[in-house]
Amino acid sequence: MEGNIAILGYGLSAIGPGIGVGLIFAAYINGVARQPEARGMLQTIAFLGFALTEALAIFGLALAFVFR
Amino acid sequence: MSLGLLAAAGGEEGFTAPGSPDFWQPLFGTSGALAVTRPAIVLVISAVIIMVVLSVATRRLSIVPGKGQMLTEATYGLVRNSIARDIIGSKDFLRFVPLLFSCFTLILLNNLFGIIPFFQYPTMARIAFPLVLALVIFVVYHYLGIKRRGLGGYLGSLLPPGLPGWIKPLVFVLELITYFITRPVTLALRLFGNMFAGHLLLLLFITGGEYMLLHSGSLGLQIFSIPTFGMGVVMTVFELLVEFLQAYIFTLLAALYIAGSLADEH
Amino acid sequence: MQLAAPVFAAAAEETTPGDPMYPILPHLGELIFGIVVFAALYLFVAKRIVPRLEAMYAERRAAIEGNVEKAERAQAEAAAALDEYKAQLAEARTEANRIREEARQQGAAIVVELREQAQAESDRITTAARQQIEAERTQATAQLRQEVGRLATDLASRIVGESLQDSARQSGVVDRFLADLERDEAQGVSTR
Repeated sequence: MEGNIAILGYGLSAIGPGIGVGLIFAAYINGVARQPEARGMLQTIAFLGFALTEALAIFGLALAFVFR
Repeated sequence: MSLGLLAAAGGEEGFTAPGSPDFWQPLFGTSGALAVTRPAIVLVISAVIIMVVLSVATRRLSIVPGKGQMLTEATYGLVRNSIARDIIGSKDFLRFVPLLFSCFTLILLNNLFGIIPFFQYPTMARIAFPLVLALVIFVVYHYLGIKRRGLGGYLGSLLPPGLPGWIKPLVFVLELITYFITRPVTLALRLFGNMFAGHLLLLLFITGGEYMLLHSGSLGLQIFSIPTFGMGVVMTVFELLVEFLQAYIFTLLAALYIAGSLADEH
Repeated sequence: MQLAAPVFAAAAEETTPGDPMYPILPHLGELIFGIVVFAALYLFVAKRIVPRLEAMYAERRAAIEGNVEKAERAQAEAAAALDEYKAQLAEARTEANRIREEARQQGAAIVVELREQAQAESDRITTAARQQIEAERTQATAQLRQEVGRLATDLASRIVGESLQDSARQSGVVDRFLADLERDEAQGVSTR
């Protein structure tokens, strides 16, 4: 079987951010459900956290293309 | 599952899975650094379409909007009110509305070109274009920060207040990396990665289904091509969602970064 | 495995720009296209589209505010008219009350006056009747006395046979007689 082990690396690097993004949006939904009027503020924070967390998975994707 | 079967059956005979070479499509000039490529043409077409549509839709603006104006206004209102005004704040968001609006429309239309027939090429799956947009945002938010506080003040403002002394250098390095590397790189790569991977997936399902139907020569695989095509349709709908979402997230993050440079505290 | 050394900045100077093997390396031609197209789009949007849309937004806000103002003005006018109407109504009501009160007072005054008039009239009539009766009685008494005197004189002359008519004492006799009669009668009445 031929292939590139870097892709496997990307798969591994996506696990953590996947969980992290899930946690962030779970917290966001919780927050909005408890205080719907705080939606705007929470949305900003949630997307910032989402961007930071997803950065790791994106690095994984980039490196999967760099090392081959 | 279909992928495994495909690999088992067609491994020898030459089904080549789609990959990054499929995105390299020079049209004029063979393969030089200045070759005019298909995505470049698509980008130009998309920009022309946006300009024409917007200027036609806004030629006669009425206070009570008609159908065409409604759509333009909904898009513009999304960028202006939900993104720019809510995040940057109502004081000076109007300066950035043109930037965010052109970013949003350009990304959205180019993403949608990934599934619109005859174009069918997500321009943003070429790293150069997301990189340009990310660099523009990068330059804008650093320029705003430096103009506001001066270079030293700007670098100092990267550090969150109220930290104990010994941790400051560490955090400063981390913040520096975040501001100067992570943000622009992720901004560009997120868009690129989503479009690239999504289009690759579509290519895989469609070319794989076509191979199974026409070239495999085995009845089982020919029958199995039907769910493969079905999956291709499902993924196309999913791509539609992702394309819109990515345009939205890019614009939202750009507004967030700009707002961070304009905000008083870190 | 090998590392693609310069990832972004100097990528265009690589021997294989836009190398299909490295999709995260930007292609120089596409970079230039991207910058030019985005700059053109940005300028177009900033100079043409956004001003138009913002002007429309401002116009719409003005229109909405104008409508609100107009509605407020109409409401204020309606409220003022209502107040005025209420004031007029209250005024009319007090006026009516006043008139009614006046009329009542006047009516009472008229009744009192009429009653007084009637009382006076009846008093007057009664007095007049009483005076008349008194006068008639006096007259009747005088007449009766004269008649009785004449009758008694006639009777006495017939009984005595001689005429006493031109006697000077004649009237004195009769009067004396009558006075005696009255005295007796009065005594009789009192003794009785």
